[in-house]
Amino acid sequence: MTQTLSTLGSDAPDASALSEAQLLDVYRTMRSIRAFEDRVHEEFATGEIPGFVHLYAGEEASATGVCAHLDQDRDTIASTHRGHGHCIAKGVDIKPMMAEIFGKTTGSCRGKGGSMHIADLSKGMLGANGIVGGGPPLICGTALAAKIKGDGGVGVAFFGDGASNQGTTMEALNLASVWDLPAFFVAENNGYGEAAASTWSVSADNIADRAAGFGMPGVIVDGFDFFAVYEAAGEAIRRAREGGGPSLLEVKFTRYYGHFEGDQQTYRGKDEVRNARENLDCIKRFRQGVTESGRLTDAQLDEVDAQVAQLIEEAVTEAKAAPVPGPKDLLTDVYVKY
Amino acid sequence: MSEMRSHGPDPVPVVEGSAIGIIPNPMSGRDVRRIISQASVFPNAEKASMVLRILRTVGTLGVERVLLSTDTFGIAAGVQREIKRLSGARSSAHVRWPKVEFLTLERPTGTAADTTAFAETMAGRGSAAVVLLGGDGTMRAAVPGLGDTPMLALSTGTNNAFPVMIEATVAGIALGMIATGAAPEPTTHAKLLHVEVTRANGGVRHEAALVDVCVNTLGVLGSRALWKADSLRESYCTFAEPHSIGLTSIAGRLRPTGRDEPRGVAVRLDDPSVAAHTVLAPLAPGLLEWVGVLGSTELQLNVPHPVELDRGTIALDGEREVEFGPDDAVTVTLAQDGPRVIDVPTVLAASAHAWPTTTCVFA
Repeated sequence: MTQTLSTLGSDAPDASALSEAQLLDVYRTMRSIRAFEDRVHEEFATGEIPGFVHLYAGEEASATGVCAHLDQDRDTIASTHRGHGHCIAKGVDIKPMMAEIFGKTTGSCRGKGGSMHIADLSKGMLGANGIVGGGPPLICGTALAAKIKGDGGVGVAFFGDGASNQGTTMEALNLASVWDLPAFFVAENNGYGEAAASTWSVSADNIADRAAGFGMPGVIVDGFDFFAVYEAAGEAIRRAREGGGPSLLEVKFTRYYGHFEGDQQTYRGKDEVRNARENLDCIKRFRQGVTESGRLTDAQLDEVDAQVAQLIEEAVTEAKAAPVPGPKDLLTDVYVKY
Repeated sequence: MSEMRSHGPDPVPVVEGSAIGIIPNPMSGRDVRRIISQASVFPNAEKASMVLRILRTVGTLGVERVLLSTDTFGIAAGVQREIKRLSGARSSAHVRWPKVEFLTLERPTGTAADTTAFAETMAGRGSAAVVLLGGDGTMRAAVPGLGDTPMLALSTGTNNAFPVMIEATVAGIALGMIATGAAPEPTTHAKLLHVEVTRANGGVRHEAALVDVCVNTLGVLGSRALWKADSLRESYCTFAEPHSIGLTSIAGRLRPTGRDEPRGVAVRLDDPSVAAHTVLAPLAPGLLEWVGVLGSTELQLNVPHPVELDRGTIALDGEREVEFGPDDAVTVTLAQDGPRVIDVPTVLAASAHAWPTTTCVFA
């Protein structure tokens, strides 16, 4: 149930040629992310979740549209502090993710990482990352490895508008270009770096415009539209896989919750989120598009909704019941022997 | 002892009530074609510079007022900053800036609808003409708002058929002369392709294109751009120039048709791997593709042409805009009811004698 998008693979067809099973897979992934985040939002309010959480709701089309083109074996992604969606889209199991957020021993990192450090190297997920701009340099490493091995692997870095201003991101863009790496940089511009509007804090008109300065193409897509992200990401990943070098995609959208849970969001317009939820929502648009064109039925999608809801319920129940790490676990899984 | 320097002839008098509108689209030139080919990225800073050059030019020619659209991408802000700086600079003391009104929308959407709304506002507030900086999509978005106000289409990229690449200063001269009455407005209307989609439930959707309508097999709007040759099935063009870039280049190779001719072109296409005839066409900058051709015909004015493909999307001026299926009836009709378009070379060639001069230098 938690497996997502594995049927698509790296030779994914055009968006319009996605099969019924593939479309259902896409929907399941986006719905899983939304349900996961909405539930974490509720659970955080009860005080049972330790640490900070940053929720991805509203941005599902980005992680899903990009990761739909990636293999688990050879492709890697680096995520951000807002990383749950990237994890789910890359195929990380939902139950250990939820347990990790609750800080339990059954978690993806045995409860020692929490929301901002969920990682699963077996799925090519290098980790959520508490360091803003920490992901892009990691991807240069995995992309270089893929290039040396010649396995066609691609490294994908998700980062936000805030991280687009970081030196680490600039260095990674430069390095990827001069080393001609199979790397793909996905700038998820949700309009705010914490509370600072990206229209103020990003000096360029668009993050995509910065790509030209690093000798790579940069394009913009509507982040509320799965198919738009899917097509553009497909071309960029194909280009990287075939030796064409790195590129940058700016995905424009907004987040439905605050920067972190508890954020009062006084910097946002009154109807901003409501308007996005009502008129732009990526899941609504996807659902409307595939049902109106007759490719999927409401009954099929309702069934996915029910399955996802049950999975999330089980994940929370099991996470709450699982033990927290004890003193004996203090030094385990912390150091690595080379 | 200071020396009085000559400042030359007196400035051209301001023509009371004269006005133009300027809409630079901040979002043009950023689509996926930058990955699949070498389409240009046109920086917004250059769009701001183009606006400034137009402002200086029309101000010098006596235009009183300019209405400028605003945006959150720094174009209008850059213009405002530069006007403030240059207005106080001694080196440009002789420059007469027009009064610039920065227009805002009550409910900006961040979509093409904003272009339509700005065009409508400018047309309704006395603009003799509206100049648009953008691509084919920008021009198409302006059409419903312009009414009978003439447009001047300036290209900000390498991937456009309708707007022209011409220096903004020269475009500004044409605009200034029309706005001050020194040159006549264009009288003929551009052609439009009207698309009518009748849904199974009886609902009807109307769309229009300035350049071309391309029916293709892609089933979703996706990233909007259209460049995959094997997906193309029917191409309808208002004009088709052999030197154009994009989808109309196909018809431009087969049946060249001018912008002012009272006819268009329809081309039936197929997957080049199965078609008996193929042509090589530049579908995007740097992207020459083999396109399968079944045949081409002249498109007559005001005759509805039914679309044959039963499922796919319809691209208007290069961007997928409408999905349709077997239960939908789609027609394409060419009509001469588009906007009046200012052709800069024509305006300047016809009225060179009317340029401001101090003495008659023309024989």
